[in-house]
Amino acid sequence: MSSDSENSFEIPEKLSIDPIYKTNWCDMSAEIKRECIGKMEFKERLSLRCTAKAERSLIDSQKIKFHKGEFWAESDDRFDAVLYSENGNKFSKCLDGGPKTLANKAFEFVKYIWKVGVFENLQISFFVPVYEAKLKDYTGEISAKNVYLEYCDADMVLSIIQKLNDDVESIMTNPGLGGLPDIDSDEFLAIPQIQNVPYWHIANYSKTNSLHKVAQMWIDKNSKIGSTFQVYTFDDGSFQEFLEHCKDRIVSKSKKRVRIRTNNPDRHILLERGFVRIEGAPQYFRLMVIHSEMEESKYDNNCKAWIRKIDPEYYNV
Amino acid sequence: MSSTEQGTSSAAPAEPTTAPESAAAPEVPESFYYVHGKDKVVHKVSAGALQHSALIHGMISNLGYTEEQAKANPFPFENIDGDILQMVVDWCNQHKGKPTPPEDTNLPKQKEKLFDLVLAVNYLEIKELLTYCCKQVAMMVKGKSPEEIREIWMIPTDAEDEAAEKEAKKRAGKEAAGETAAAAGDAK
Repeated sequence: MSSDSENSFEIPEKLSIDPIYKTNWCDMSAEIKRECIGKMEFKERLSLRCTAKAERSLIDSQKIKFHKGEFWAESDDRFDAVLYSENGNKFSKCLDGGPKTLANKAFEFVKYIWKVGVFENLQISFFVPVYEAKLKDYTGEISAKNVYLEYCDADMVLSIIQKLNDDVESIMTNPGLGGLPDIDSDEFLAIPQIQNVPYWHIANYSKTNSLHKVAQMWIDKNSKIGSTFQVYTFDDGSFQEFLEHCKDRIVSKSKKRVRIRTNNPDRHILLERGFVRIEGAPQYFRLMVIHSEMEESKYDNNCKAWIRKIDPEYYNV
Repeated sequence: MSSTEQGTSSAAPAEPTTAPESAAAPEVPESFYYVHGKDKVVHKVSAGALQHSALIHGMISNLGYTEEQAKANPFPFENIDGDILQMVVDWCNQHKGKPTPPEDTNLPKQKEKLFDLVLAVNYLEIKELLTYCCKQVAMMVKGKSPEEIREIWMIPTDAEDEAAEKEAKKRAGKEAAGETAAAAGDAK
């Protein structure tokens, strides 16, 4: 039982010294404002950002998550961006004007979004060469989980990949009908983001040396089980080149698959070919780091799903 | 001091039981604490409801005093308006021991009350309620232009801010000069 003296406990200091509250946004602490800003959609953040300097710096210090961000600069005189929030709300921005002014204006906007945005999915389609120099000068990071680079030329692709955050989970490049003739596999493989990404693919790649070079990089880096690389090409020779370069490591081979050992006894690398029975279709390949104890009966015999991922044109219907 | 009682559903004393001693332990009666705001109106709140407030929970977790002692020592929150504290107490009672829903539509819509509630909830460290309140604050400016936001939230323009800052500096300078003059006069 408590004594009488214990009955008179002291009021903690925090209770007695605080001021009487006021009721105005400007009287809120930065911490509370940030909490409220965190609940706002992008459009409202932009509006609040325009009210005063103090609000602007607060907004700019806060990251915002987007489910998806799409950026297109497909011609000299037009730029489009669409941002989808986690709640499914859509924010669109379309800019037009003279080539030089437009590129400056558009890239200022892009830089801002990349600075504050954290993307689940990010698609960049920059056709116009004027953005290349701007990308090279951009020193910030692009924070995204799944990145899709479409119709960007070789230097732009490399430039963007180098700016991705380290924990990017997939990098997908689709240069369109023109392909990516200028990038050698070594240029890709020298980029740390490519070395560490769990999934990446190159659509319409004209080099036939990518498979064995990726396999060698994985062997050198002792890459994780599950690491996957996909490529499709209209040129012959990729499968043969892989066989020749990896002949000393072959565990098993067939028309469809080659399995090789790595320096780590726990890990093998499996190369699979996907066949599409349509005239003029390219050759599809998937390369994966697998567990060395994986049985052949566990192989995935349905190549449609993984082909669809790199080339939705086929098997999408 | 006036008194209102909230959440008075204290558990009835456990009925004597004929079950063997090894059966479930008898229910411990719920303990209550008392809080008051600026208006000095005392609210009786169960320990279970107060668990939502990390501040109060932290304060009472090691006190272990009797209900009489707690009644004699209500927690004073002089910085919180009575009606705001009432809202907080009601919310804590409604959500006592329950998982909090993703939305709470019963929060005040008026700007002043909502901001007061935000500040009180932040002070009392009631995380879930703070989340609801901040969502509600964000909703106030949904679809609004910068001008409209400035008006709704009374945000001064940069020019107004600078003018106010200059004025404050001027005033501070004058006050300092006055103090120096007074000190010089005293010295003479």
